[in-house]
Amino acid sequence: MADNSRARCKTGIAGLDNILNGGIPRGNTILITGSCGTGKTTMSLEFLVHGALMGERSMYISVTEAPEKLVENMITYEFFDKKLIDDKKLIFVDLQEIYVKLGLEKLEFTLEDVNILVEQIVKMVKELGVRRLVIDSITSICYRLTSKEEIREFILHLGKELSDMGCTTILISELLPSAQGYSQYGVEEAIADGIILMGNLERRGDLLRTIQVIKMRGTTHSRAKYVLDLTSIGVLIAPLLKGGSVEAR
Amino acid sequence: MGVTANVVSKLEELPSASSIAITTSVNSYFDVLRAIVDVFATRHDLYVFYVTSTIPSKNIENLFGLLGIDSSRVFFVDTISHLMKEASTTNDRYLYIESPTMLEYIMLKVEYLARKYNDKKALVILDSVNSMSIYNGPKIMSEFLHILVTSLRSWDAYMTIIAMKEQNTEEIHSMLNMVCDEIYDAEEGE
Repeated sequence: MADNSRARCKTGIAGLDNILNGGIPRGNTILITGSCGTGKTTMSLEFLVHGALMGERSMYISVTEAPEKLVENMITYEFFDKKLIDDKKLIFVDLQEIYVKLGLEKLEFTLEDVNILVEQIVKMVKELGVRRLVIDSITSICYRLTSKEEIREFILHLGKELSDMGCTTILISELLPSAQGYSQYGVEEAIADGIILMGNLERRGDLLRTIQVIKMRGTTHSRAKYVLDLTSIGVLIAPLLKGGSVEAR
Repeated sequence: MGVTANVVSKLEELPSASSIAITTSVNSYFDVLRAIVDVFATRHDLYVFYVTSTIPSKNIENLFGLLGIDSSRVFFVDTISHLMKEASTTNDRYLYIESPTMLEYIMLKVEYLARKYNDKKALVILDSVNSMSIYNGPKIMSEFLHILVTSLRSWDAYMTIIAMKEQNTEEIHSMLNMVCDEIYDAEEGE
């Protein structure tokens, strides 16, 4: 039976939309989490490009990487059209510039600073009519917050405001390969509407990139582990074959 | 009829989206490949996605050249060159996979080719089930073949699996019987 209780935000990644029974429920704030090199940024960018191609204004807020470098990497993708950037359908924002503009060039944020940052992001989303947002990474922002309460306040406040505007948001979370749980601070995973875990799986000396939807509010979904490949036509996903495997996040 | 004619005749009988295992001896191996790649695929204007775990793709292509077989429509998914340290720069004609044990990546590379080159129908060759079985146990091989064959049906592609008579076991035969529509003996013509 079709799961049509919530409007969907199609990721445009065929395998993932199948796993999610049609896409991410619109307005959800989801966590894409995993260690480095697992494809988090690539998949998030593809989500935005497909959105922009479908006419949804999409925004990428980069905390650690220069937008120019990201765009340079995207040129290798056949589905990417630089015109999307020229037409402002796809917008890149360097968070460091926002910090400067807001006077937040400090190592630790107060609760007031957190609220100023959230209001600024919400303002940009509202003014530009953004329907898809990626923040890469939420871990880098949370690094400046001094307590779990502040992290909780930040994600809850941001998630609620964005959801009210119908903006579907991906928060990228960086994990150490040895980490337990699904996020660096343990708070992000509890608040997010969805968690997509990306990892590396070792099987007899081979290292496979994997993806698994741990939770997704508002839809039924597969919870199985899949293997993914990052190709010039986008992320492709295949079922993980059963066999003796050792996790190596 | 000769081996090439036998195989072509058999392939002509099949509807698209069929899967067939072709058993052959080493002596008739190139006649079988000629039938599939040179005659059948050319006649039906099919792309050929050639998954090799037996001979490196560059060697196969050289042999095709020597035999006068047009390989311009052939795209290789090569699982053996890395092991032989013969893999060169990857491009769509030569997609390298690190090892024949990375079965999911074989499925993903075939899907990549099927999605990208979708202006014509495709024929997928798996060469061979015997060499793949050296690296993979029967359970995971059966699962892999079942998913690959099923997904290729949705692409309306032909699937041909080469099985070498000299290396066939009862286990391989049962596996092919389970996943393929037909098993065909190229030399016996049945």
